[in-house]
Amino acid sequence: MTRFRKLGQMPIWLTVPAFGILLIVFGIPILRLLLTSLNAPALSVANYHAFFGQAANIRLLVQTVEISVVATAICVIIGYPTAYLIVAASKRLRMVLLVLVLIPYLTSLLARTYAWIVILGDNGLVNKLLLDIGLISSPLQLLYNRFSVYVGMVHVMLPLMILPLVSVMLGIDKSLMAAARSMGARPFAAFWRVFFPLSLPGVRSGVLLVFILCLGFYITPAALGGLGDAMLSTFIAAQVKSTFNIKLIATSAFVLLAIAGILLFMLGLDLSSRHHRAAKKERTSWQRRVPSFGTLARYLNELAAPYRAKRWTAELFQARDEIYLTKQIGAAFVVLVMSFLLFPGAIVMIMSFSAGAYLEFPPSGFSLQWYRSFFGDASWTGAAWTSIQIGIAVTILSTIVGTLAALGLSRTSPGLRSVLTMAILTPITIPLIVVGIAVFLALVNLGLIGSKSGIVLAHSIGAIGYVVVIVSATLANFDRRLEQAAKSMRAGPVPTFRRVTLPLILPGILGGAVFAFIHSFDEVVITSLVSGFSIRTLPLKMWENIRHAIDPTIAAVSSLLMLLPVLWIIAIYFMWWRARPKHVPTAATADIG
Amino acid sequence: MNFTCAVNRRRFLQTTSSAIVASALSGGRTSAQSSNDLRVLVYGGDYAKAAIDAYVKPFEAETGIKVIPIADEVTLTQLQLMVNSNSVSVDVIALNYPTATVSAAQGLLEEIDYSLHNKEELDGALEFAKAPYGVGQTAYAYVMVYNTETYPAEKPRPASWSEFWDVEKYPGVRTLVDGQYGSQGPWEEALLADGVAPDALYPMDIDRVFASLDKIKPHVRKWWSVGSEIQQMMHDKLAALYQAYDGRTNLLIDQGVPLEINWNQSKVTWDLWAIPKGGPKVQNAQRFVEFATRADRQAAFAKLFPSAPTNLRAYESIPEDLGRRFPTHPDNIANSIFINAKWYAEVGADGLSNTERLIQRWNDWILQ
Repeated sequence: MTRFRKLGQMPIWLTVPAFGILLIVFGIPILRLLLTSLNAPALSVANYHAFFGQAANIRLLVQTVEISVVATAICVIIGYPTAYLIVAASKRLRMVLLVLVLIPYLTSLLARTYAWIVILGDNGLVNKLLLDIGLISSPLQLLYNRFSVYVGMVHVMLPLMILPLVSVMLGIDKSLMAAARSMGARPFAAFWRVFFPLSLPGVRSGVLLVFILCLGFYITPAALGGLGDAMLSTFIAAQVKSTFNIKLIATSAFVLLAIAGILLFMLGLDLSSRHHRAAKKERTSWQRRVPSFGTLARYLNELAAPYRAKRWTAELFQARDEIYLTKQIGAAFVVLVMSFLLFPGAIVMIMSFSAGAYLEFPPSGFSLQWYRSFFGDASWTGAAWTSIQIGIAVTILSTIVGTLAALGLSRTSPGLRSVLTMAILTPITIPLIVVGIAVFLALVNLGLIGSKSGIVLAHSIGAIGYVVVIVSATLANFDRRLEQAAKSMRAGPVPTFRRVTLPLILPGILGGAVFAFIHSFDEVVITSLVSGFSIRTLPLKMWENIRHAIDPTIAAVSSLLMLLPVLWIIAIYFMWWRARPKHVPTAATADIG
Repeated sequence: MNFTCAVNRRRFLQTTSSAIVASALSGGRTSAQSSNDLRVLVYGGDYAKAAIDAYVKPFEAETGIKVIPIADEVTLTQLQLMVNSNSVSVDVIALNYPTATVSAAQGLLEEIDYSLHNKEELDGALEFAKAPYGVGQTAYAYVMVYNTETYPAEKPRPASWSEFWDVEKYPGVRTLVDGQYGSQGPWEEALLADGVAPDALYPMDIDRVFASLDKIKPHVRKWWSVGSEIQQMMHDKLAALYQAYDGRTNLLIDQGVPLEINWNQSKVTWDLWAIPKGGPKVQNAQRFVEFATRADRQAAFAKLFPSAPTNLRAYESIPEDLGRRFPTHPDNIANSIFINAKWYAEVGADGLSNTERLIQRWNDWILQ
């Protein structure tokens, strides 16, 4: 017991397991790579000088940041209202919507990219439809340009924006909005001044995840973009493939890492509670800068407040057209976003029943042969089983370690927290291929190349990052006074955690676990390096398949994978929603502002 | 009963962490090193199946050495990490010519023991297939392909790369291979289009390459980088004129896609069997490489999977209609150019190889 109490007093200890794994599997070799990029032992910045001396590199860098910023911004603009509407929906509908958001995330990236080519191509679905209607006379060039790059990237990243937002918004007490309204705030003011600031941690972690992943993204831009739509990671991948100049690769990787670092510090990084208070302060100072307008508006506002407060009580008992209309618009928006997310998956699913030997849409005939070729081939089913085993081990390890780290981080000083969070996020910030090289070097020393434990460790370093980001976001709105209250009533640290903290942050933990599993289940770059040609995971098998023939087995596998989130959510439903206490905000506060 | 998962949390933590520690201690080291079997990379898909039937099984029958075929391929990164960390886990690999050249220069490959090879076999092999660090496995080519819906046989069609560049006379959308890897790109084609003689391509004039590419840039819809990509573009009839791999094109022609190959000025390249340096079973690996490069084995493979032999004697036992589809067939190879990987790997005074120089120029050029 005393040991636990000590742990409670020294929260930094909670981060030790995470950093232990990170340091051994990734940290030490990546430091060696950093030294390589600095020409150790001579230590010079010659490589960086050479990198920035190339005009093309700078332009590539600027373009990488530009594409990432735009893609992230689109994700916020679409993701925030979507998350809001998902949270506002009834419990059952919310579960369904969350499943729908997750489904595209498990469709093979390559199959999805192909689906976009089918949809946006010159002879694709969109062009055919527009031609048939007669809106256009010749096909629009929707593919192989910046537009299709954004479509593809936003499609991949949107779930990563929505899920942290949802997990934070679920933790916001809806009665605060009602309180604001009852005191005369307009619906928009109640949203803007109460709900929005409270949801900022979710925005922050969503932006962080999406932007960082965009920086290192290259398959989608390369496949859907035109000649000029290259990103820095495309450049790194090409270097790795053709010349393997380790100094150049390490240098470009650390440049990308530096950009991610700059963003982390710009966003304050502090994913925890003091944060929204700081944000509020900023906003008031901004308002002070425009005093005349601000004061006048506030004065008028206050005059009207009692009236609005009275009206709100009346509204409670009246179903008004206006509200009905807002609900309709909201519903239409959600339907639109869901169609965007699900359409490529649906195309993939339809193509998986193709009778022909090619991925084609519409298929020339229907058959189950590609499913038979999956289940009838031990190399496919074996690979799937291996991936499931590894995925479960990674999920368990990284969820526990990551949650502990997030708890620890939320209790340390903001400065330390920023640095440590940055360190934990490094493996998902720098290009996968560089992570792979570092992990390989570490696993060689541990003698774990070509073993399942090795792959589990390799996947965990990334998965821990996802768990930390998502759990931290949830912790940001967690009221520590609840813990103090429990302790004041003589609950020990463990019962406090179990009966107060855990139930309240469970949505975040589960969200993190889902991402950890998906991260492992989808990983191909690092795995291919550390598998030592001895272990076959499902993505490795899919890569092998797609390199040689684009046959619809890949579509069949993707379709089967789409069932996975459904099973996940059913499991979560039984574990969590059934057991959830009844006091949680429900339909009564489901209010579409 | 509230939170069963939470109740069990501590026990859960203990069991999982001890399981992880246990497996870490037992050191799940790959079984590969301990066994005596020869581990051979055979790419994947149908190619792997054909390789098992044509190479692996007969080799086991002849020598009694057990082979584990692995449906995978090795990248330069993997090879470097394996060799430099002394953890070579495969004995025989296949590498494309540019990668093999770079790997050999970095000292990652064993020298081939040609004393094991039969002189008759070696005489039949094309010159490029007898490198000090690798023996030819299969050859393939970058060819010009017509979409026969736009350019049927009765219409005038571009016969050479300079005509491919002539967008006035031969209108229509084009695709070319992307140059981001440096070692692969439309470099030779650009020079041919600009009037350089096929035997005077190397050393390549990089400025001239890009000046020529400037002219075709607006007419290329998509610069593809991998085989599956160009295969899908041809399947979707994206362009009128393509640059593509011969194998992918033939596959589509068999599916009924309206395409035709122009063998004139095809650019031939090849894959080599190679042996990673410092592997545990180099001797048996040498024997496997000798066995798999015999003419009769290459012929057997070509009949199972349409991929060209590098040993011309193989054509003696390949049916003529199949042989005609291959880039190394005597009829097709007459007007071919051969990639010169030595030039690509050459390092200049500034410490950059020509491949790196091409990558830099390419990155510069695409953003202009």
